[in-house]
Amino acid sequence: MSWFAGLLGPWRGFAVTLRQMFRPKVTTQYPEEKRVKPQRFHGRHVLNRYPDGMEKCIGCELCAGVCPARCIYVRGADNPPEDPVSPGERFGYVYEINMLRCIFCALCVEACPTEAITMTHLFEMSVTSREDAIYTKDELLVEPDGTPRHPQPEGPLVDLDELRRGHGWLRATAPSGRAAYEGIVAWTPSATYGEPPPERGQAGVTDETDGES
Amino acid sequence: MADAPDQVSITLDGRVVEVPRGALLIAAAIEAGTYIPHFCWHPRMKPVGMCRMCLVEIDTPRGKMLTTSCTTPVADGMVVETSSPVVKKAQEGVIEFLLINHPLDCPVCDKGGECPLQDQTLAYGPGDGRFVEEKRHYPKPIPISDLVALDRERCILCARCTRFSEEISGDPLIEFVDRGNHVEVNTFPNHPFTSYFSGNTVQICPVGALTARPYRFRARPWDLEAVEAVSTVDSVHSKVSLEASMNEIVRISGVDCDPTNQGWLSDKDRFVYEHLLADDRVVVPLIANGDGFREASWGEAVGLAASRLADLGGAVAGLGGARSTNEDAYVFSRFLRGVVGTPHLDAQLDDGLAPEFAAAVEPRALIDDLDDADAILLWGPDLKEELPVLYLRVRKAATAGAKLVVVHPRRTGLDDVAAHTIRYRPGEGPALLRRLAAGEGDLAEARDALGAGKVVALVGRPGLAEPAELAEAVAAFALTLDDARILPLVRRGNVFGALDMGLAPTLLPGRVSVDDAERRRALAARWGSLPDGVGMGATDILEAAASGRIGALVLLGVDPVRDHPRPDLARRALERAFVVALDLFVTDSTRHADVVLPVAGLGEIQGTVTNLEGRVQKLNRVVPPPGQARPAWSILDDLAAALGSELEADAVEKIFEELATLAPAYEGLTWDRFDWAEGRDGVVVPLEGVTPPLRHVPSDPGLAVVSERPALHLARVLYDDGVLVRHCPSLASLAPEAAAHLHPRDASVLAVREGDRVRLEGVGVVELPVVLDPTLAEGTVYVPFNLAETAALGAVPSVRIDVVREAGS
Repeated sequence: MSWFAGLLGPWRGFAVTLRQMFRPKVTTQYPEEKRVKPQRFHGRHVLNRYPDGMEKCIGCELCAGVCPARCIYVRGADNPPEDPVSPGERFGYVYEINMLRCIFCALCVEACPTEAITMTHLFEMSVTSREDAIYTKDELLVEPDGTPRHPQPEGPLVDLDELRRGHGWLRATAPSGRAAYEGIVAWTPSATYGEPPPERGQAGVTDETDGES
Repeated sequence: MADAPDQVSITLDGRVVEVPRGALLIAAAIEAGTYIPHFCWHPRMKPVGMCRMCLVEIDTPRGKMLTTSCTTPVADGMVVETSSPVVKKAQEGVIEFLLINHPLDCPVCDKGGECPLQDQTLAYGPGDGRFVEEKRHYPKPIPISDLVALDRERCILCARCTRFSEEISGDPLIEFVDRGNHVEVNTFPNHPFTSYFSGNTVQICPVGALTARPYRFRARPWDLEAVEAVSTVDSVHSKVSLEASMNEIVRISGVDCDPTNQGWLSDKDRFVYEHLLADDRVVVPLIANGDGFREASWGEAVGLAASRLADLGGAVAGLGGARSTNEDAYVFSRFLRGVVGTPHLDAQLDDGLAPEFAAAVEPRALIDDLDDADAILLWGPDLKEELPVLYLRVRKAATAGAKLVVVHPRRTGLDDVAAHTIRYRPGEGPALLRRLAAGEGDLAEARDALGAGKVVALVGRPGLAEPAELAEAVAAFALTLDDARILPLVRRGNVFGALDMGLAPTLLPGRVSVDDAERRRALAARWGSLPDGVGMGATDILEAAASGRIGALVLLGVDPVRDHPRPDLARRALERAFVVALDLFVTDSTRHADVVLPVAGLGEIQGTVTNLEGRVQKLNRVVPPPGQARPAWSILDDLAAALGSELEADAVEKIFEELATLAPAYEGLTWDRFDWAEGRDGVVVPLEGVTPPLRHVPSDPGLAVVSERPALHLARVLYDDGVLVRHCPSLASLAPEAAAHLHPRDASVLAVREGDRVRLEGVGVVELPVVLDPTLAEGTVYVPFNLAETAALGAVPSVRIDVVREAGS
């Protein structure tokens, strides 16, 4: 019977193909269609604003200090008292991230004492020169209404709304990472998404609104 | 029990250790390797026990007791616990208490990352505070001077700044005011914190309450790259750490070097780095082009300079080198003598002391000799203005009991701690000296004070209008005392190193006289040739250049138009001669140059420097030179090559090796010696067992008394209009207002009031407002040297005063 089985072999192979033809396809028609990213996806950074439009960044350079790839360059400056850029004495005068060096580890996000730098779901960052890969404050800082800026905002690949779905990491842990903060709003409101919902999920409570957006 | 008489044994956390008798417990414990946290205690200041952080448990007859280890001297058999549960609880309590009102704005605080409060909160704090109420709020930051900002919210009232101002610097302009819960650090109304030493309070502040305005938000501690160097602003050579971020020096901090600065710096030392970043720094070679300059390549500039120097044969002279490293000065000396073949070279501009005296005076004092001196004679510049860190050392010695005798034409910074202050009219110094030596009349007490025990004589030129020989005469008097040592005072950066490298007409490298035939042969063998005869000094060089006998001048970091006592002569000389200038800037002098070659500055080069006591220390490099600037030795090597000679100067270590073999006073030094162990504090030359050929024992030069009136007292001030200060934005604004200071009686004779204008005629004519100064000797006009308005005056023994009457008044 072994010669008969050998004859059937190829057809059994084709059966796999045939079966897959009637199953739902996993291929998406990128860029017309986009897959929904996991909530804690580490995309490109933005610098956030408070709801009143003030910049959250205070130029403290903690992100630059913690960055393992040394891709962040920050310089602080005195806030002009009559027209302050951020609350307090100091603001981020220069803020640059070299996206070619960045390893998207989000340590900068964790280090940030004011939640100024966060990561979005935006990931299309192809550039035509090395200089363009250095994102400055012009590209990183969100508009006063919270919309992220993009070097090519009109491009077919750009879905600026992804930012609003991209603050998943913010809800991953409370500032101190303690379960005791469950149910307490421990984050400052932002021009991007207003006041974030309170912390939950730390003590095994599932959040039915959580999950993929 | 301890064996040695000056040691006691204590039990520290169960460990028996030997510690020095009389030491404070906290210092003894830290020395023995047990760290005790503290905020207010500072090893260079008296303890106050203000912050309570250093609490330890000590066994007493009444049981264990918590006490502050910074106010408790050690006693034999003392049993101390530094980490018992009780001590821990106390430490946690203190931290929690200090944090009640301390704002948690660490991310924007300049101290964040290097803050003792941050570090000790992490190491010894409770981790949580129970205080939930609103913290105290004050307006902030308050600029309490042009250099320092105060943030009261952050202050933990440790009294370090107030104690520094009172104990160390002697200008208590910052104090605690009010009582109880309202205590705060404040300055006096309408009187900013204008101390020359204010930057030190920023450095010792254990929180971010006092911050330096020039450094404000420039960098964070973790992105600073630091190297050790010394400050070459003056010839004390305070040890500093040069701290750079993104290839720019953004901060200079004091490093505690026991024989020199003991941790302190003047604000000029601290903020002088700004000149390195000035926009108008020369960063490419320049060639004169009409009224200005055009940029040129190194090849063109060096080629032009070399061809003109070659044409002129020996009619060339060199000035400067007193701001450079020893290696630069040595190569400059070898270039001028061995390659160009000229004996005319001078590192000073007739504004200092005689070269043999400054380089080789015997017996020479160390700065440390001040600490065990019975008496100190200061007849020289106002130390607070010229050598501020030496002022701190003299002040420390005088407050500890040394009898200080200050002789100066007007009140100096040290008068407050002096046992005797003597005033005299400039020019009448020799007469006063004779009276002092004889102990005549009112000088008897001062003479008695100097008569007994160890004396350190600090001698220099009180003002530029007085002759350099005055210092020689004073030193000769000092040597008639029992046990006197002499410390020569000249301000400019590495002037003592430059003289040691032979940058004087009468000196060869290593404290050798040009007459020394044997040393001449040794040098000529290595250098190829050595010009005969004694060359000209700075004034003669300038006169020869002005009259055309000298055709070319090579300037190495020197500004004769501003620094020479006769600015008009310097200008004429530079206008007439072909001038090659190696400099950081286009200055009033290098403006007349035909070729300006950009040199690298502090922190951009390695090298060694020698201070006023002969201590050789090393400068390290932390940033690259800007543009095409290069070390001076490398430029001179190129110039020599273009002249067809070989200087063998291709690495700084190699030059140092060469000078250590050829300069007798530097015999036995090695390049590595400065990096390790005691060599980090520098090495005093000559080393033990080495005797340099030239030993200058001062003898009375028999100076004539000049008693013309009004005598001119032209003295330097810390912040003048010199090249460095002018290019430091934070310091330039601190220069005092130019004025002619008159004694009130002289003013009434002239019928002028404060604020009236007078015209002074010296070498040049200047018009200045009058300031009345009752501390000035009568018959004297005091004018600060080298301010923009006074630069033209020049140094003459006596000036002519004309009162400027406003039209119609």
